[in-house]
Amino acid sequence: MSGTPSRGRERVPGMCIKCKVAKPSVTIRQSLYCKECFIRTSIVKFRTGQSRLRKRASRSQTKALVAFSGGGASSAMLKLVADHQSSARKGVDATPAYTGIVVGHVDESCLFPEAPEEEIRAIAAESGLLYRTLALEDIFTLADGRRTALIEIVQASIAPGAEKDQFCARLVRPSNKVSNKEYLTALFASLGSATDREDMLDIIKAFLVRQLAREEGCEVVLMGDSGTRIATKTVALTSRGRGFSLPLEVAAESRWFGDLSVWRPMRDFSAKEIAFFNHWTGQKSAAVPTFTTGGPRRASIDRLTEAFIAELDQGFSSTVPTVCRTMQKLEPRDEALAAPPCLICGMPAEGNAQAWRSRLTISSSGAGGVSASARSSPSATLPESSCLASGDTSSLLEIARTVCYACQSLLHHASPGIVLPEFCAKRLQAVDASDNSTHETAEAQREALRRQIDEFLLDDDDGTCDSSAGC
Amino acid sequence: MPRQCDICQCARAIIRRPKTGQRICKECFFHVFETEVHHTIVDGRLFSPGDRVGIGASGGKDSTVLAYMMKTLNERYNYGLELFLLSVDEGIAGYRDDSLETVKRNKEQYGLPLMIVSYEQLYGWSMDAIVEAVGRKNNCTFCGVFRRQALDRGALMLDLDHIVTGHNADDVAETILMNLLRGDIPRLGRCTEITTAGDGYIGRSKPFKYAYEKEIVMYAYLKRLDYFSTECTYSPNAYRGYARQFLKDLESVRPSAIIDIIHSGEAIKVSEEVQVQRPSSCERCGYISSNPICKACALLEGLERGIPKLGISRSAKHVDASATDISVGQTQKSTHHQAVEPVHFERLREKALEMRMRRMNGDANPCAAPCDDSCHGTTCVCATDDDCAGGGCH
Repeated sequence: MSGTPSRGRERVPGMCIKCKVAKPSVTIRQSLYCKECFIRTSIVKFRTGQSRLRKRASRSQTKALVAFSGGGASSAMLKLVADHQSSARKGVDATPAYTGIVVGHVDESCLFPEAPEEEIRAIAAESGLLYRTLALEDIFTLADGRRTALIEIVQASIAPGAEKDQFCARLVRPSNKVSNKEYLTALFASLGSATDREDMLDIIKAFLVRQLAREEGCEVVLMGDSGTRIATKTVALTSRGRGFSLPLEVAAESRWFGDLSVWRPMRDFSAKEIAFFNHWTGQKSAAVPTFTTGGPRRASIDRLTEAFIAELDQGFSSTVPTVCRTMQKLEPRDEALAAPPCLICGMPAEGNAQAWRSRLTISSSGAGGVSASARSSPSATLPESSCLASGDTSSLLEIARTVCYACQSLLHHASPGIVLPEFCAKRLQAVDASDNSTHETAEAQREALRRQIDEFLLDDDDGTCDSSAGC
Repeated sequence: MPRQCDICQCARAIIRRPKTGQRICKECFFHVFETEVHHTIVDGRLFSPGDRVGIGASGGKDSTVLAYMMKTLNERYNYGLELFLLSVDEGIAGYRDDSLETVKRNKEQYGLPLMIVSYEQLYGWSMDAIVEAVGRKNNCTFCGVFRRQALDRGALMLDLDHIVTGHNADDVAETILMNLLRGDIPRLGRCTEITTAGDGYIGRSKPFKYAYEKEIVMYAYLKRLDYFSTECTYSPNAYRGYARQFLKDLESVRPSAIIDIIHSGEAIKVSEEVQVQRPSSCERCGYISSNPICKACALLEGLERGIPKLGISRSAKHVDASATDISVGQTQKSTHHQAVEPVHFERLREKALEMRMRRMNGDANPCAAPCDDSCHGTTCVCATDDDCAGGGCH
């Protein structure tokens, strides 16, 4: 910063707003910046945001996981975090931000064969940090590689004559004939729309990122959501009926997941700023495919909202910062913080969601008559899974209470027989075992799970599956 | 091939229900649509037996269906309500005059008493005159502020306990999105409430809060209800247009999106620190206001003084309350349309109380007593012809 003239508040017309001597190269919210000042400002902004988050954290020394998809925002975040950390080590700054940093990535190639996983690995390697991945299909196994139980949704619709809609599920034993990848593709094939597939993908990725953080002993997860992305998410989640958990899902920091804090340090950057930062600092990023890549505007709620926010932000340039500020002022309700986690998304499940919808969207006459959609049918996409309690109807579980409003919609649109991942079964057991709102604490709940499942396990064909880590 | 109704499994399905995508027959559609509104009314505890309820009637589809529905449900479920049609005449030639004709026909069709209050009578300014004075840019501000108050004035003139309006689920969802996008946090917290306080005396509610606009149109069409469908001749709010278009797109991606947004809006909690301060009363007209002078009075003063921008920017605070001294109830009637001072709300409340006392004494006709002319011809333009037959005024 030597050699730069005094930095008053006055603007010099036609010159960079910071140094006032260089020709500007970019306009950010009606302010002109030259390349150098822009990069410097971005770095300062990021560090300020980081230290603000760190000050509020319970512990000053933490290990962090950088959630890295390979896209623009998380690549920029990776560079900013890594540079900050190494400059601190070289003694430029007083203390390093974290005691350690791990880059965590979720491999999506099972759903997107075109995903540039090698390129992503190369980008991460440039940071020199430890790179850890989990694949999407890993959700069908426990961390130690065992498979215990999955949830099959038998029926998610109006039962004839019933006042409320029902969500019947049963625990099934994973079939050895079906690989994790096949389970994953079947899960996504069972979902009713691109919106639901995006929703499920987000849920799974978020779960796996937390899983990576726990495995690596990180207390903090850094998510690379830009301001533009947060505005989009806010509107999209609202549109999907996720208002109850909205403040937890996009907050600058969220402690919903007990042992883990989720931070969003890129929220002060717009998508445009990130693009320029990456371009000018030579930071590479990959094009990460989504379900609606190249699709039409109305392909999904996410896709539509993204287009809408981008257009609105062009006409009204304050849209993105305004929505982000609005977002910050929302709080989770007390009921939300005390609610049990939804067994699908892990976010708080409001107790009356099912009744609320049923009162306002009547879809049966209240008289008899079997509706076509109400008949349960075995999964069309998987070989018949072995039910843990073999056809005994008493083993059917009514799960509506533990599924949030938005995930109920998701099940409504899914084909019957959809098989949910292992972590859903785990949450169900956790909720059943204790009506407390403890969520996702590992060992005790897994034990509770096994105890519950032991009752259902049949000692017939597959003895290895019982309590040993056989399958 | 004809398809069976998804609900009753016997009649032929004739519509695909916008809210659920089910294919259902006409009778089942009526059943579910009416029952959902009934649930909304019961769950929201909107009324008590014996309430006098005014239906805000514009002649448009929402309020026409609302009037029909209120009458139907009141009879079917014995709510025990006394229903009135309450219309506001903004004075927009080629729009409101035509739609008011529809309301007058509805009055005959449903046998409900009708009261029309006009901007001209209440404020001395019709919307046409306002647009002439302020241009087309901010005229919706005037219309909105005046209408809100006009409904409350009309309600007091009829001594109503409650007003219902035809706001539908699309309107509510759109408002949630708008408040989110504009960062209007206090409104974001309030806009999903089914009942709002009105002027502090009269509750207001939206029985169609969860009813899809498309289904309201469908209901009106299938029931062959008589309604008026023309957009207001003055340009609509551009920003709301974006939200509206987005909502339509969302609905086409996922039909449940509208109700999902309302569900989200109801669950959103606004931080304590952004709660608004408690509103007080306007020093001039007694209407509920967070400033010394209410928005309507500020706008009116701007109009009278020829500086219509006055009430539009943050100016309401700067209007000197003592500058114009208004003696309540003594404003002279003038042929000059700009000289009408709105009747003070205290006066309206007194009149309402008098009417209530008379009714309790067994005198059912609100208009029977001779009018002392302090109502400026607004109190008693009301009611059905036979109601007013023995009335002493106008």
